[in-house]
Amino acid sequence: MNKQEFIVLLEGVVEAEPGTITGNETIESIPGWDSLAIVSFIAMIDESLGITLSPKKIADAKSVDDLVALIGDNII
Amino acid sequence: MSVSKISGVKISGIASAVPEQIRTIFDDMKVFGEDEVYKISANIGVKSRYIAPPHLCTSDLCFFAAERLLHEASWKKDSVDALIFVSQTPDYRLPATSCILQKRLGLSNECASFDISMGCSGYIYGLWVASSLIVGGNIDRVLLLVGDTSNKLLSPQDRSVALLFGDAGTATLLEKSAHAQPMTFVMGTDGDGANNLIVPSGGFRKIANESTKIRTERENNNIRSDEDLFMNGAEIFSFTLERLSPLIRSVLDESSWTVDDVDFFIFHQANKFILNFLTKKMKLSPHKVPIVLEKFGNTSSASIPLALSSSLHEELCNKELRLIFSGFGVGYSWGAVALNVGPIIMPDIVFVP
Repeated sequence: MNKQEFIVLLEGVVEAEPGTITGNETIESIPGWDSLAIVSFIAMIDESLGITLSPKKIADAKSVDDLVALIGDNII
Repeated sequence: MSVSKISGVKISGIASAVPEQIRTIFDDMKVFGEDEVYKISANIGVKSRYIAPPHLCTSDLCFFAAERLLHEASWKKDSVDALIFVSQTPDYRLPATSCILQKRLGLSNECASFDISMGCSGYIYGLWVASSLIVGGNIDRVLLLVGDTSNKLLSPQDRSVALLFGDAGTATLLEKSAHAQPMTFVMGTDGDGANNLIVPSGGFRKIANESTKIRTERENNNIRSDEDLFMNGAEIFSFTLERLSPLIRSVLDESSWTVDDVDFFIFHQANKFILNFLTKKMKLSPHKVPIVLEKFGNTSSASIPLALSSSLHEELCNKELRLIFSGFGVGYSWGAVALNVGPIIMPDIVFVP
């Protein structure tokens, strides 16, 4: 998964129009990022990468880049 | 994980009861607004649920389910050797609700009665303990009563729980049967998750007082007190994702069954998103995984027998099925059983005024 694919996945999770997330914004500023979105996000990462992210670490993430960092070597 | 095989016990009957009082998503919209409720409902799959009014306790729902079932199965009251009540919503802090139900049902004074405090995994625990008693304790018949009225535990202004739960009580008859196929149980626990699904105050660790009753605004504008149920949905989802597939694999391996040998997988009706996701992840055929959340919501410990009453009534009354039940959640606690059930006595769902 590259960063662009990750952002497309994230847009799908929060039901945002394609191209609206740039990757530099804070998570707080993304409309629709709520507890249901976090659950969908965990599900989609599990499905596409086979890893289960920690909800606590997701909650601690401040920016989209922090989220990207959570999947570590799985991003290219 | 703890594995046990129990032979010589069969399930003879299952009955479920719910309160007559129904609450739909249109009622919920008056509290949370239309957009919010549609969004949550689409995810969790709940469109209505039955909610116990103040005068109805879990024990009342279990009582009506048990009365109907004992009657239809023609079990004499004095033939019940043990009564087990599994719930996290008992009548009193003491005495045990099972003692009250023994009297109310008119069971014999020779009947052993006790409570088990378990939620999502409670039905599996109940079946495991009941069948173990029959084999190890050399008794013939157990009446297992399982249910919860979770709506009494939660704040109606907390959207993380207020749209999810329904109330229900169930009764299951288990008895000694020389030719019964073995039941295979797999159980596990991780108390590290205790704080993710909890009513913090009202027990003896944090005794209820004036301040624990006060509802205040918490995360995501949810309003609740320390005496209300708290659920961290994302943590519960993550736990389920990690634990459920290995649990199902383990119970299949231990029973020497393949996925194709199983007629239906009856999972604790946690929420639709979780169940659909896990069904896909485990590559199960969706028609083998009944989901009854739309009508009943998440009924905690009652959800497996209620799903059986609601979706497999016809089949279970007429033939033998190979089933896997699995409960997982509060604790964290989980369990699964692979077993043959049917034909059994299964009354229609009882609606209690």
